[in-house]
Amino acid sequence: MLVINDLHVRFNGREREAVGGISLSINDGEIVGLVGESGSGKTVTAMSIAGLLPRRQCTYSGDILLDGKDLLHAQRSELRKLHGKEIGVVFQEPMSSMDPLMKIGHQIGEVLRIHTDLSMSQIREKALEAMASVELKNPEQIYDCYPHELSGGMLQRCMIAAAIVIEPSLLLLDEPTTALDVTIQAQILELLKKLNARLGISMLLISHNLNVVRKLCSRIAVMKRGLIVEIGDTESVFLNPQHDYTKALIKAIPTRERRFG
Amino acid sequence: MNEVLLYVLKRLLILVLSMILVSFMTFGAFSLISGDPARTILGTEATEAQVRSLRHELGLDRPFMARYLSWLLGFFSGNLGVSFSYRQPVWELVGSKLMLSLSMSLLSFLMIILVAIPLGVFSYKATGKTMIWLRTIFNQLGMAIPPFFTGIVFSWIFGVLFRLFTPGDFKGFSVSFWPSFMHLFFGAVCLSIPRIAMTIRMMRSTVISEMNKAYVRTAISRGNDRRSVLSRHVLKNSLVSVISFLGQTLAELVCAGIVVEQVLGIPGVGRFLVTSILHRDYPVVQTIVVILTFWVVFASFIADIINQVLDPRLRRGQT
Amino acid sequence: MTKKDSSIDPKSFLIVGAVITLLLVLVIIVGMFWTPYSPTAMKYGRFQSPSWNHIFGTDNFGRDIFSRIVKGAGNTLVIALSTVIIGAAGGILIGSLTGYFGGAVDVVLMRVNDALTAFPSFLLALLIVSLVGPGSKYSVVLALGLVFIPSFARVTRSEFASLRSRNFVTGARLTGAGHARIIFVYLLPNTGRVLLPALTIGFNNAVLAEASMSFLGIGVTPPDSSLGYMLSEAQSMVSIAPWYALSTGLSIVLLVFGVGLIGEGLQARAKEVD
Repeated sequence: MLVINDLHVRFNGREREAVGGISLSINDGEIVGLVGESGSGKTVTAMSIAGLLPRRQCTYSGDILLDGKDLLHAQRSELRKLHGKEIGVVFQEPMSSMDPLMKIGHQIGEVLRIHTDLSMSQIREKALEAMASVELKNPEQIYDCYPHELSGGMLQRCMIAAAIVIEPSLLLLDEPTTALDVTIQAQILELLKKLNARLGISMLLISHNLNVVRKLCSRIAVMKRGLIVEIGDTESVFLNPQHDYTKALIKAIPTRERRFG
Repeated sequence: MNEVLLYVLKRLLILVLSMILVSFMTFGAFSLISGDPARTILGTEATEAQVRSLRHELGLDRPFMARYLSWLLGFFSGNLGVSFSYRQPVWELVGSKLMLSLSMSLLSFLMIILVAIPLGVFSYKATGKTMIWLRTIFNQLGMAIPPFFTGIVFSWIFGVLFRLFTPGDFKGFSVSFWPSFMHLFFGAVCLSIPRIAMTIRMMRSTVISEMNKAYVRTAISRGNDRRSVLSRHVLKNSLVSVISFLGQTLAELVCAGIVVEQVLGIPGVGRFLVTSILHRDYPVVQTIVVILTFWVVFASFIADIINQVLDPRLRRGQT
Repeated sequence: MTKKDSSIDPKSFLIVGAVITLLLVLVIIVGMFWTPYSPTAMKYGRFQSPSWNHIFGTDNFGRDIFSRIVKGAGNTLVIALSTVIIGAAGGILIGSLTGYFGGAVDVVLMRVNDALTAFPSFLLALLIVSLVGPGSKYSVVLALGLVFIPSFARVTRSEFASLRSRNFVTGARLTGAGHARIIFVYLLPNTGRVLLPALTIGFNNAVLAEASMSFLGIGVTPPDSSLGYMLSEAQSMVSIAPWYALSTGLSIVLLVFGVGLIGEGLQARAKEVD
């Protein structure tokens, strides 16, 4: 479904490539984790997929194909048709990632407004459905709220609702739980799992937290300094890590969590 | 909306309180410095008895608070006292002049908004080297041109060379509409130029800082193009930070207009203020100062209300 | 994307502004001792249009306009500088004390300050002039100086308030530095980043406000002269001698423009440091 082939990205004025030639594929309905510390190139990879790369400030090569459609070299106007519709993105900081002056409901329905011809009332209907499917308690009430009136966990659910309302084929999750409390983290991960089972959306989870990745993903790729150093089924990577860096990462997880996670 | 209404009421109370405070301070200051108005009116040759009787006539022999209260009541019932030098009720002198000055300020404010906001928004893209230089030069030049200088140049070009109007010969709208309008129009242009430059600068830096915020990235990830990111998200967010600045601009325009009225010979309240200062006609100065201050307080009131409506974050915690 | 803006070195604004300003100041300083013609002599022929002999022409009394502008600009410069010095000294004093010590005094003073800065400064200055007595350069300096205090106080206070809890200040305190030493040695030099641009803006406001007041006849009056006063003179003869108004007005514009560019450069540099 999503195929990344030999992706290189280098920012102007930098010696080292941010992404130094990685290949990765995600199958239909699969959840893949991309792990690495900050600066490993995982976020740049995600931005390249989402078309958020500042193109004038970097050079890039390789292929990113979503169901055969080119995501890397396509015209901006072409890409815009894919943004939101085929690829939904959930960002790290739900509070700052939402427009503070726009009602939650309108932000959730925005994708539909851009990509479909649905009427206002149909959009509202769909948005409320999406809000219900991310298990928000009073969708009607939250619809008219502004971001500052909700908690971080609720906001992240809204962000997820906004990303899936149009049922994209790929959901890009950029550290979706990093800014949240541990209990809420677990709830959000549970929710994502359910959505994956129910809607069959493929997901790419980007995280520095191996534990989070382990809970959600069937396959993981470990990145370091712009390269994928290890890739494989989650359990086999965890039980039998090949690369020293992966071993170090696993070792860094607190033992209690490792055992019970 | 209920929250907004409550806020308006609360803010209205503050408005009235600050108006009272301001009027009290002004009245106090003028009572202190104006010395003995009766003596001033009658001149040095008047006898002590004459002075005393005029003082009584003007109510100057009453205690300070009593004078202040009766002046305040008079202020709101249109009875503003009598001008020293004209021996006429102040309101008769000031009323129509005030309308003229306010119209010019509002016209200028309109120009500022119509020109500066679009230019500020669109200039955020101007990042090339030449563009930065051009932008900076125009900006700094705009801010460096004093309105009274543009006023002189305009009255020379459009008054003397093109004869569109005769600066200084302001007959009033009822007598001759277009020449009077020309006075106000060119006055407003002079007033606008430096403030347009300031507003563009302000608007531009606000738009740029909003464009770098995370919600813009989200909006783009949903398939918004640059234009709809601007119109649906960034513009409103930018306005919220510019509104108070605009409110202050609206307040300052009336005061900045004083000089322009002088240049173009518009019989506005500012010009009257200056002549009254020179003649030490304190009742008039005092009244105009209080009116202008009310205008300042009122402008910030309007700006606060608009912000309240635009920004839901401000409504939180309001009772 | 702010980063893109720094494709121009802020120093270049600074340099261009400084060159313009220094040239003007040089001319003004020379003019204090020597001008090509006597600025008061009325013997060069009335209303001569600009020529090589009189580059800005002559006025209604046959005085050389260039020489008069140089003299008048000198007055304007001195008035603006004194104003900024009064405003900055008062504002920095109040702002640093309230910002450093905080507490109730700080709260009250800053409330008053906010109220004052919301007030159009020009109106305030007019009021003070009318109280002190219009028509003298000393009342102009006093009025404008007083009016500028609140804005300097605000800038200084907020810098002090944010700096006082920094590590280097705590360190200084631990080594036993007294309040005065901390304020003058550790804090004040660090506020230059924001105070320098504020000084240029203050200077420009002073030039423009002085010109406005003198133009209105409540500022500098004869026998003193300033650019604003000269403009009010020039206005009455703009149809006969437009060069008088143009050259005087453009001198003000150039002075404010030059200093404005310096301010722009300083501000851009301050942003880069952040």
